[in-house]
Amino acid sequence: MADVRLSGVHKYYGNVHAVRGVDLTIKDGEFAVLVGPSGCGKSTLLRTIAGLEDPDQGTIAIGGAVVNDLRPRERNIAMVFQNYALYPYLTVKENIAFGLRARKTPEIEIRKRVSEAAEMLGIGGLLDRHPRQLSGGQRQRVAIGRAIVRKAELFLFDEPLSNLDAQLRDEMRTEIKRLHHEITTTMIYVTHDQVEAMTLADRIVLLREGKIEQQGAPLELFERPQTGFVAGFLGSPSINLIPAKLVATADGISAAFENGGTLDLPRSRAAALREAIGRPILLGIRPQHFSRASGAPLREGVISYAAIADLIQPTGTRTFTTIKIGGVDAIAELQAHDVESHGERIELAVDLNRAVLIDPASGQVIN
Amino acid sequence: MTSSISLDSAKPARGHAIARVLENRLPYLIIAPAILILLLVGLFPLIYSLVVSFQHVTMTENDRSFVGLMNYAELFRDARLWEALGHTAIITVIALPLELLIGFLMAQLFIDRMLGRQVFVALLVLPTVISPIVAGATWRLMFDVRFGPVGEILSFFAGEPVRILWTVNPSFVYPAIIICEVWQWSPFMFLLLLAALSNVDQSQLEAAELDGASYFRVLRAIVLPSIAPVIAVACLIRGLDLVRIFDIIWALTEGGPGSMTETISLYTYVQGFSQFETSYTAAIAFLVIALLTVITTVVLKRMELAR
Repeated sequence: MADVRLSGVHKYYGNVHAVRGVDLTIKDGEFAVLVGPSGCGKSTLLRTIAGLEDPDQGTIAIGGAVVNDLRPRERNIAMVFQNYALYPYLTVKENIAFGLRARKTPEIEIRKRVSEAAEMLGIGGLLDRHPRQLSGGQRQRVAIGRAIVRKAELFLFDEPLSNLDAQLRDEMRTEIKRLHHEITTTMIYVTHDQVEAMTLADRIVLLREGKIEQQGAPLELFERPQTGFVAGFLGSPSINLIPAKLVATADGISAAFENGGTLDLPRSRAAALREAIGRPILLGIRPQHFSRASGAPLREGVISYAAIADLIQPTGTRTFTTIKIGGVDAIAELQAHDVESHGERIELAVDLNRAVLIDPASGQVIN
Repeated sequence: MTSSISLDSAKPARGHAIARVLENRLPYLIIAPAILILLLVGLFPLIYSLVVSFQHVTMTENDRSFVGLMNYAELFRDARLWEALGHTAIITVIALPLELLIGFLMAQLFIDRMLGRQVFVALLVLPTVISPIVAGATWRLMFDVRFGPVGEILSFFAGEPVRILWTVNPSFVYPAIIICEVWQWSPFMFLLLLAALSNVDQSQLEAAELDGASYFRVLRAIVLPSIAPVIAVACLIRGLDLVRIFDIIWALTEGGPGSMTETISLYTYVQGFSQFETSYTAAIAFLVIALLTVITTVVLKRMELAR
């Protein structure tokens, strides 16, 4: 068990500046997820922690000791690769035992740990097979088994679920989460999938162009994004961003859209927004913050909005409806039966207390 | 009326049928001339010499009557033939593993990206593109006792004049042949193994590094199994070539001293073109064909099994 501390880490590939000064501390036993769009440097950062890449600048410390000059094998790290990287010519049992044999573990201990791991992952019946005889999900379990028997100080996962189909991915995600509860080792997990990031992480580290954009607990990032990028990256469907301008009105501040419409912003936020009056903004409203108006009086900060349902996408549990706000398409997430047909006129309640206002020039959130 | 309709509709159908036949047969038609020529220059001589091997044709005697298996029976009484096969086996068994090992070590050296790698690889592969007879002649000069640089270099290290008659001294003729052979053909192994090694799955190697596996463990568990098919094919190609080895030895020793380095190809040549035992030579050729067929079949079978 160990904490991980990165300070000022840079990595270049020729002219490409892949990692641009990352400072990051991951606490002992924490499940940290590095997430971001492809090319954001998340995999490079993980490989740098593993020692498979050398940082061009900066230090990496695991359990308090700087490991920059240690080879990967000396860092006591276990890693699960995207393509599983199982040894094709060894059986499942030999694959799992490989690291233990390499480290001269006594044979009795090896047998014990392999059967423990096999039981934990439900692959006891596959031990004598070769990787090519296994399905994708089974290979993934073997790869995880190979990592856990080592009892390493640190677990690294490099997009481990991206080669699996959707259903299996959900299943394995749950298992990885359970695994972390059982073995409580520090884990660093790389993914481009925001659902994986939200569901697995104790802490999400959102990377963009080689830098940390924001880090924190999943709901903290979701509810209090610091930039438009974070607001847009997390959440599915994505947050609606509607160009508007802040204008002062008789009893507060409104967002005035390009097509002439306005939405009154909650009074509670007026003080904070006073400085930004007259400036262009992007009004960010999450699809989840729409609901069908019930006719009951609305809470402070919740306004009613009449819209025409355009596209309707039922998912079974919820229904996504495309509506127009300020002349722009926006998606509202409603109850399954809230809207039935294209062109239907619906009365919506929009919770603007949790709306995110973004400065379009800097991309920063206006608080 | 009805008949004219059926005629009209039959015409395009027939054209369609011709087109379909053409489409199906066209590839065969196109390769037919090449196949014919190959049969002419390949199969005909083979069958002709098979026939000759059952006759008793020599330079002086053009008797075309069949003598049954006489030539083949003679093979088993011919001690020089079996010695020649033994010499061939010695050279193959020593040179092939050496070429494989040296080729593998060279490939290991060049597997990492390095400055000027392509230039070095191209230079190292040069010996393979030289004609074997030229390679043999060059090494004969290199080994020359008066002018050769090999003796010169050995003298330098020994600190006293070293005079070795490489191509005559019975203790040195085999080393000379094998040095020349290994020099020329290790790069071939190197090239194939370099390609095979660069195809070994990188993430498996990384996983093994994180697992803390030693070089030899990685070699045994990951690298060798993954390049085994290439090694097998490379050994088969080189092995067959080595069994037929001729030019290098002809240039270096001409099979001498005496018949000490006479391989099966040299012996066949001598029988055919200095003794002019045409029928007997044909019988030797078929013995070699039979031997090589057995070896090739066994190796290919084992490769299939390993897959």
